[in-house]
Amino acid sequence: MVDEEDAKEYRWETGYEKTWEAIKEDDEGFLEASVTDIIQRAKRKRQAQKLPNTKLGMMRHLYLLLDCSDSMSNQDLKPTRLYCTLKLLELFIEEFFDQNPISQLGVIIMQNKRADKISELTGNPRKHIKAITTLNRTSLIGEPSLQNGLNVALKSLKLLPSHASREVLVIIGSLTTCDPTDINTTIDALKVEGVRCSIIGLAAEVHICKQLAAETNGTYSVILDDSHYKDLLFQHIEPPPAAVCLDSSLIKMGFPHQMVTEGTDEPLTMCMCHVDSVEEGSKLTTGGYYCPQCCSKYCELPVECRVCGLTLVSAPHLARSYHHLFPAPSFKETDYNNQSLICYSCQKSFTDLDKHVYQCPKCERTFCIDCDIFIHDVLHTCPGCATNPAILQSNSD
Amino acid sequence: MSLELETTKSEDFVSTDEISLLVIILDTNPGQRLLRENPQTLTQCVDSIIAFGNSHLMQKSQNKLAIMACHSKTSEFIYPGASKTLDIRQIDGQYEVFTLVERTIKTNLHKIIATENTILSNESLLAGALSMALCYIHRIQRNKPPGCKLNSRILVVTGSGDSAFQYMSYMNVFFTAQKQNVVIDVCALDQHLSLLQQGCDITNGLYLKIPQLQGLLQYLLWVFLPEPPIRPKLVLPPPVKVDYRAACFCHREMVDIGYVCSVCLSIFCKFSPICTTCHTVFKMPGPLAVKSKKKKMKL
Repeated sequence: MVDEEDAKEYRWETGYEKTWEAIKEDDEGFLEASVTDIIQRAKRKRQAQKLPNTKLGMMRHLYLLLDCSDSMSNQDLKPTRLYCTLKLLELFIEEFFDQNPISQLGVIIMQNKRADKISELTGNPRKHIKAITTLNRTSLIGEPSLQNGLNVALKSLKLLPSHASREVLVIIGSLTTCDPTDINTTIDALKVEGVRCSIIGLAAEVHICKQLAAETNGTYSVILDDSHYKDLLFQHIEPPPAAVCLDSSLIKMGFPHQMVTEGTDEPLTMCMCHVDSVEEGSKLTTGGYYCPQCCSKYCELPVECRVCGLTLVSAPHLARSYHHLFPAPSFKETDYNNQSLICYSCQKSFTDLDKHVYQCPKCERTFCIDCDIFIHDVLHTCPGCATNPAILQSNSD
Repeated sequence: MSLELETTKSEDFVSTDEISLLVIILDTNPGQRLLRENPQTLTQCVDSIIAFGNSHLMQKSQNKLAIMACHSKTSEFIYPGASKTLDIRQIDGQYEVFTLVERTIKTNLHKIIATENTILSNESLLAGALSMALCYIHRIQRNKPPGCKLNSRILVVTGSGDSAFQYMSYMNVFFTAQKQNVVIDVCALDQHLSLLQQGCDITNGLYLKIPQLQGLLQYLLWVFLPEPPIRPKLVLPPPVKVDYRAACFCHREMVDIGYVCSVCLSIFCKFSPICTTCHTVFKMPGPLAVKSKKKKMKL
């Protein structure tokens, strides 16, 4: 898998991707089959690059640093850069919390040389999405200041306990940054605190961004078009490898359960999450989750108890993150020569059109390409191994 | 106004381009207690499943059915099977499709049972069967004609228990089903299944442990035949409160307050200096420092 994407090489020196040559018509003269083929190949390649057995930063604390300067009104992404970004961020935030339920996110905007935090570091996706959607009415003015933005993020990330993985994701459309002092000192401070900064550029490569990403072990990428943008953004959903200075510790957590006593109805109580909210006030309800330490009620999990500061989660929330730690083995691509008549999991019968089939190295079952992608992208369990008692037994030992 | 809304909603529901796909997973593992004590029960279960499957097909001509057998060593689709469809002619005026369903299931099941060897295990690999069913549903979803809506659900009929060693596969399956809008229903014949019950709760399915095996078909038709959108209108067994507390990795006991390893997310009921799962060494004053910091922040 080590190929032309060597970092040293210039774009014009790499083998130009002659995409039109890769596209071939199928028997009925349609192109679609081969186009999906190209996309699937790219997906497979990324899966293969994932290194197994790396320590990951599971409890992520991520600040989104969003450029809201004049340059975001550019119309190279349709309808504008900002609209396109906001739409993608909505999807991103939802997926982020789906895949990292015990992580937290915050949003900072950079505008008119200032940086404003529009939503604090919390684990509630709806709060962030609401903050994001109000952004499409902001006037895009002035220049962004990368240094101010990073400082705001650093100030709050600094306070986190040492086992938390600290990250900043910068989305920048501008090619310039207007900073009060030397940005290199900020970069050094980020490096010391172990904050990983990744940048997605919407215009072109900028030296200071590249340096920032390189020094803090982040990634820097510049988008080609909107679908590439989405692809780059969604790569940040996977938890990154843990920073060197990341401590490991045991974190005290509460697992609330409903207070049910046989034969009696639950008492009507108010929840703590809406108690001081102006828009939707706290209502008297029966259900809910009670903090096992101080018995205050919350209507949803995961949440940090407002009274005693205990992190409240349920077992499935932790289980949602297990697949990052124990991924399904990547399958071997082999040429199809009648190893098996059907795909083991989806029962699709292989035809001459299927040039390659995919084999699990553990259970040696044969799968079609669609199942291969589905198993590694969504399911994270190999159906062959999960139906084989011998393999399951050896895995759990 | 509200009445009008009601009618448009119900019209939407009966529109012809909606397909309901039902995947039934029947646990045929001979190691389960029910079948060890009384092997004839399987015949009754299979007959009930066939009648139930046919009733699903009878409701609408677009409805689709798939049946899997979860056996001790493998899981296989027994309808529609991998082999060529049988040539069926009408018998006694019965709809040909029904005869086809019955014949295919019985032939394929016979094949599976014939290849069985003697080593018995009392736990069935239902998580694996569920993951195959999800792949199958994913393929049907991909290949459906454009403009069509596919509602899929999975019904698990099992008499065996569930244990923790399939926990991860189960959880992956449940979250995938939730993402793909697949409803998982569970009909427990013998033992209470706490893990599968969580799965039903996550995917908005129904969990029922039937009190009497003789009435299996009736329970199936009564509880599991109606489509999920109709269910709120029916009087069905009330949902049970599901216990989502975690069991600690050290003593397998349910904990209210536990300690979670920040590297591998293992749960422990007491503070220990080394994680037994990933062998990470923790800082000693860990939990205390975290607590005091948080208190400071609050002030």
